[in-house]
Amino acid sequence: MSLLEINNVSKIYGELHALDKVSLKVEKGEWVAIMGPSGSGKSTLMNIIGCMDRPSEGEVLMDGIDIAKMNQKELTLIRRDKIGLVFQQFHLVNYLTAVENVMLSQYYHSIPDEKEALEALDRVGLAGRARHLPSQLSGGEQQRVCVARALINYPEIILADEPTGNLDEANEKIIMDLFHNLHNEGTTLIVVTHDPEVAQTAQRTLFLRDGKLVRETVNENFTGEIKYEDWTENK
Amino acid sequence: MFGRMIKGILTRQWKKMLMIGLTIALGASLATAMLSVMLDVGDKINQELKAYGANIIVSPQEASVIEDLYDVEGGDKATKAYLREDELSKVKTIFWAFNIVDYSPFISTSVKLDDGSEVKLTGSWFNHHLELATGETLDSGIRNMRSWWDIEDGDWIDEQGSGAEGECMVGTELAKKLGISVGDSLHVTGNASAADLTVKGIFDAGGDEDEYIFTTLDTAQAIGGLDGKVDTIEVSALTTPDNELSEKAAKDPGSLTIKQYETWYCTAYASAICYQLTEVITDSTAAPVRQVASSEGAILDKTELLMGLIAVLSMVGSALGICNLVTASVMDRSREIGLMKAIGAQNSSIILQVITEILITAAIGGAAGFAAGIGFAQIIGQTVFGSSIALRTMVIPIVIVAVLAITLIGCIPAIRQLLKLSPTEVLHE
Ligand SMILES: Nc1ncnc2c1ncn2[C@@H]1O[C@H](COP(=O)(O)OP(=O)(O)OP(=O)(O)O)[C@@H](O)[C@H]1O
Ligand SMILES: [Mg+2]
Repeated sequence: MSLLEINNVSKIYGELHALDKVSLKVEKGEWVAIMGPSGSGKSTLMNIIGCMDRPSEGEVLMDGIDIAKMNQKELTLIRRDKIGLVFQQFHLVNYLTAVENVMLSQYYHSIPDEKEALEALDRVGLAGRARHLPSQLSGGEQQRVCVARALINYPEIILADEPTGNLDEANEKIIMDLFHNLHNEGTTLIVVTHDPEVAQTAQRTLFLRDGKLVRETVNENFTGEIKYEDWTENK
Repeated sequence: MFGRMIKGILTRQWKKMLMIGLTIALGASLATAMLSVMLDVGDKINQELKAYGANIIVSPQEASVIEDLYDVEGGDKATKAYLREDELSKVKTIFWAFNIVDYSPFISTSVKLDDGSEVKLTGSWFNHHLELATGETLDSGIRNMRSWWDIEDGDWIDEQGSGAEGECMVGTELAKKLGISVGDSLHVTGNASAADLTVKGIFDAGGDEDEYIFTTLDTAQAIGGLDGKVDTIEVSALTTPDNELSEKAAKDPGSLTIKQYETWYCTAYASAICYQLTEVITDSTAAPVRQVASSEGAILDKTELLMGLIAVLSMVGSALGICNLVTASVMDRSREIGLMKAIGAQNSSIILQVITEILITAAIGGAAGFAAGIGFAQIIGQTVFGSSIALRTMVIPIVIVAVLAITLIGCIPAIRQLLKLSPTEVLHE
């Protein structure tokens, strides 16, 4: 059984089919990238996988359970237990420190544990910034706090919508390296991106256009490493 | 964690909460001030009225005729008329009985002292306990109606204690002349009998009474041989200011039409109260003695109403303000709240957080407002009534309940908004 199986999912806004009969499967431990032009339905798909929205039609099986018909409360529980989210904007609670933002996720999940939260920050290289407020952190650092928050509850899937969209290449590399580590530890990753270079790091890339899944490529020489032609210069 | 979030918002986003806190503080302070003043103002005005003494004097009809015609002081003449002591309780049975806040009978007689000098001995009530037919009780007498007396030494005669009949109070001038002080015994001989009175207190009335001896009504009657007789009754009543109708009626109630008469009789004009007093006290005449305080009875009700209205309105005003501010702050924080939902927060935990923040702010604001309100009340008390306003304990629970209720009601629209928020709408552009 696949970890995630989507069958004929559509999301319809009035006349607009933001998603049109999309079907796909993601296995446990896979690293999948989703690409497509703006407006093609990438975020819509992510919202459905991330249990923040329900499809108009079709079924979404997570561990074999159909979440398409669940109510808001049940979706919140699935989201809390199985999913780690990283957004394009670095969404942090601005009156909580870095470590408190990570603990917030633990708090809604189970019991906050400051030690564990500090370890998660250490993993993203921010041990020294734990007591800073988001306004005192750079964009890259904020996004790393988001990654730490996403992984703190050991989610089955980490969903990232344009995680590097607002970052420079150096920070992009740090984030991609973190994803690489997570992948090596067996976490399932689904990453939405505009950036072909980011997509290349994944095992599989799905292409969306006008809400339809139009193409799928498999990365033959998958290493999980990001390859830039001018990489050394940027470093 | 919950505590850290609350602490976080209150310490790091206090500016946002400040407006809410201030709104609550303002509402609470106005409500506190108005309630305090409202609850205390009745007493204030009553006290003030009593401080001025009686505003109606009831005296025997013939005496007033004689005094009016010949302008003579009624001494111990054979012709002198008296009121009846057994009719005193009727004062509190007239139509406007409720407006009579205090009254006291007086009886005067001349007594001889051991050194042969003659002084005036007056019998009256001090704190006479009255059980009225209505079931009400009233402690009435000159203790209230001579509140301007300065007790220089000793104390008031306590009619409810024992031995009041053998006690007297002496005016400061007389006490000086006789060289007596509290605890001394004074031998007085009157028309009917002699008595030894113990000096209970020495008072300074700032007038003629400084030369008198005051004792209980019974004692004075016994010494003067005037059993069951009363010279005058001083009445302190809350009255409505006079107008044309009441002035016309005061001259001759018979000149009114039936309708006018009814209106007049059923309004607390001094003249109407006087008229009603003469109806119950046989062969008496009653006259208002001063007009100054007479309007205050009417002002009392209006002031209380006004203060009550301001208290209610200020609470309604702050409820609307809080409603707006909290809704705005939830909208303002929609991204943050969407984010919390996205990372797994249940509606209940977000609502709990928002309400806790607001309630803590309300508690701080309410406490500050309460303190400020007590201050306001004192300012109002000093400027309007020239005295401080006593804080009624009753105000505290009223204000706490009102602040709580208003804060929670003010949060309702924000909470409804909050429930509708979906993480997708907020987080994705
Ligand atoms: N709540 C909504 N109501 C109506 N239309 C919507 C809504 N959300 C998305 N859409 C529409 O659905 C389509 C797909 O939107 P989506 O956000 O999934 O695109 P995207 O691929 O993420 O684009 P981008 O790369 O710009 O983020 C768009 O045409 C968008 O206008
Ligand atoms: Mg998008």
